Amino acid sequence: MRRVRRFTPLLYVLPLALTLAGCGLSMASDRHDVERLMLIQTMGIDRLDGRVHVSVSTGLGPEEDPALVMTASAHGIEDAIARLQNYSPENQLFYAHIQYLLLGEQAARQDLSRVIEWVDRSPTVRTDTALVIVEGTAKDAVTGASEQATDITQRLASLDRQARTVGWSVHTLREAAAAISEGDGALCLAVETAPMDQTIFTDDMRSDAVIPLGYAVLGPDGLADILTPEQSFGAELLTGDPTGLLITVDGSTMEVLEGSAELKGAYGPDGAPAGISVRCTLRAGVLEKSDDAATPEELDAALSQTVGRWVTGALETAQTTRCDFLGLKKAVLTSDHALARWGGDWTDIFPSLPMTVTVDGFVDRSYDLPE
Amino acid sequence: MDELITRKQFAAAIFVSLLSPLLRLLPQTAVELAGRGAWLSVLPAAVPLLVLGAILASFRAHMRPGEGLGGLILRWLGPVFGRIVLVLYAAWFLFYGGFILRSGADRLAATIYPGSGPTAFIVVTVALCLLVALGDLRAAARTAVLMRGVLVGALAAVLALSIPNMDAGRLLPVGWRDAGSIALGALPLASVGAVAGGFAFLSGYVRPAEDRRWLTVPMLTLLLLGGAICAAVVSVFGPALTHTLTYPFFIMIRSISLGDLAPRIEALVIAAWVGADFLLCAFLLRCAHEALRPVFSLPAPEGRGLSDLRGGRYLIWLEAAAVLTCALALDMPPWQMRLWSDRLVPLASDIMLYGGYGLLWLVTIPARRRARSLQPRE
Repeated sequence: MRRVRRFTPLLYVLPLALTLAGCGLSMASDRHDVERLMLIQTMGIDRLDGRVHVSVSTGLGPEEDPALVMTASAHGIEDAIARLQNYSPENQLFYAHIQYLLLGEQAARQDLSRVIEWVDRSPTVRTDTALVIVEGTAKDAVTGASEQATDITQRLASLDRQARTVGWSVHTLREAAAAISEGDGALCLAVETAPMDQTIFTDDMRSDAVIPLGYAVLGPDGLADILTPEQSFGAELLTGDPTGLLITVDGSTMEVLEGSAELKGAYGPDGAPAGISVRCTLRAGVLEKSDDAATPEELDAALSQTVGRWVTGALETAQTTRCDFLGLKKAVLTSDHALARWGGDWTDIFPSLPMTVTVDGFVDRSYDLPE
Repeated sequence: MDELITRKQFAAAIFVSLLSPLLRLLPQTAVELAGRGAWLSVLPAAVPLLVLGAILASFRAHMRPGEGLGGLILRWLGPVFGRIVLVLYAAWFLFYGGFILRSGADRLAATIYPGSGPTAFIVVTVALCLLVALGDLRAAARTAVLMRGVLVGALAAVLALSIPNMDAGRLLPVGWRDAGSIALGALPLASVGAVAGGFAFLSGYVRPAEDRRWLTVPMLTLLLLGGAICAAVVSVFGPALTHTLTYPFFIMIRSISLGDLAPRIEALVIAAWVGADFLLCAFLLRCAHEALRPVFSLPAPEGRGLSDLRGGRYLIWLEAAAVLTCALALDMPPWQMRLWSDRLVPLASDIMLYGGYGLLWLVTIPARRRARSLQPRE
């Protein structure tokens, strides 16, 4: 009898084991068999004709199986996702491993906050998914960049690696959402699609390439602007590390060896911001000299002048779009507490603040370049 | 004496139980009140916790061997008023247990099992809590010691793995003008710590403390963890986004990966938190029983078989049924649940534990003086 009593707790616990997820009998309604999961690696969202279009790509299979690419439209993101599932009755589309989230230009303008909310509510999509804005539609990028041997995920992964090597920054949805919710703006990589058959003349290369454009500016209301490559360089110099980027100055191609920027606020007698001065230092190495060979001093001056224009362009875009995507407020706040004491509304005053840009450019000749 | 829980086990039980409301309220409630300075709110939060600790120590000094706070309240407040107060506390513990189960189930469904209902989780957990409440309290305390290692390890790993995503710039600037909001931000942490006061009803099962600071280290660790969680989440998402997100800490875990070895680990961490919900609910069930035991003059329920209903043990079944009913009845839309979770329940908890214990301490000053004067002088 005592031995039976010893096992009594086990008898209580055993029925509870029936509630665990297992072979068919489970209380969890979203139980999935692993072999029936179809992992989505890239998702594109567009706003076309008043409807949300969601395009997905599964990425290449383990044995180089071609990627499955699908697209569906509905009134909302969740509706469109539910529709996509209808096209794949055999397999469960699984969104927990999305690596790239592409937003078409129109969706980025209208639906950015909707996308951020959807990711917050989604129990599967990660917030550190790379966010990329597509000039045009994300649908074209997702569906057009896939063929037998490659797909959009591979192309974006390659672009990601290349971008990081040459100095562009790939931002995540979390970084963008955090900056936007703070009332600042955010930068994220912008790309365009271009037909491969304009470059590679073989019959089996008919898909599209994905080419980086520079940065898109995201504000609280969505996509505010897409910077030109030159303005993007200015933005990268102010916010990140432009080392490795190639620039052309007076017909000479140069590689940025190092660059930095210092921002400082100027204040009126009442403590109100009166302006921002930006001082950049840039060192570049000449890779290819132009035929109109300039003196080293002239090249230094041209570099300073050209990059000064690009930085000014980035600052002007920040002011016209009223998006502080360059983090000016934070830079001024940390470098000088006068603004913190002033306590006014930065968004009101920032677009009309005079900005002074000074660039100290130094061009290394080929014999100065590291091996 | 050997049948009693050691102070270290008791401290582990309190610590693990408090981890459940800690992650329910932090960081979003603290950030809502204190903004980017939420991580500094641990400093003012220590003040109410010290006051509560002093009140509990004062109560403890007047408890007889084997007596919990329930017995003390009945002795001090008399058979009628004492019973009313004890029934009130029992009702609070049962309601709070039901609420913890409901919010834990909603969190699990929202973060790991989308589309699933919370019923299965609630029913299973109540059944397990019933087993704990009917059984030996020492086993639950030993489980808490094991759980403490698991949960603190998981928290430390999460915080360490989140470092690459952190931007310390989001935690600053914080100046003297933020002092008021930082002090307000201490309220959620103080509410979390207040739950420790409920455990005074289990004092009768705990060995007398040789070291008077036995609870200081776990409470200090809890405060530090609270500050670290706020700092980590705010530095990852920024204060505005942290306030907007539904479960920012768990969303932060969603983005953690161990390379290709384990691209996602959130299910493991969130599931581990079920343990904290379970232990808190089990202890609350037992606290409710310890509050009702003096009301009905019942013996301690320890040392009997699980199916033995004698000695008022049937009451534990009824209490579990009350917790289950409460958890199932708290079926509300997410925005309403958030209002209950962030505002109403912490407020009620503060009223019951800070307010109630403070009032008890005040009205029993004459009784304590009398008792002190009767003690033989050395």
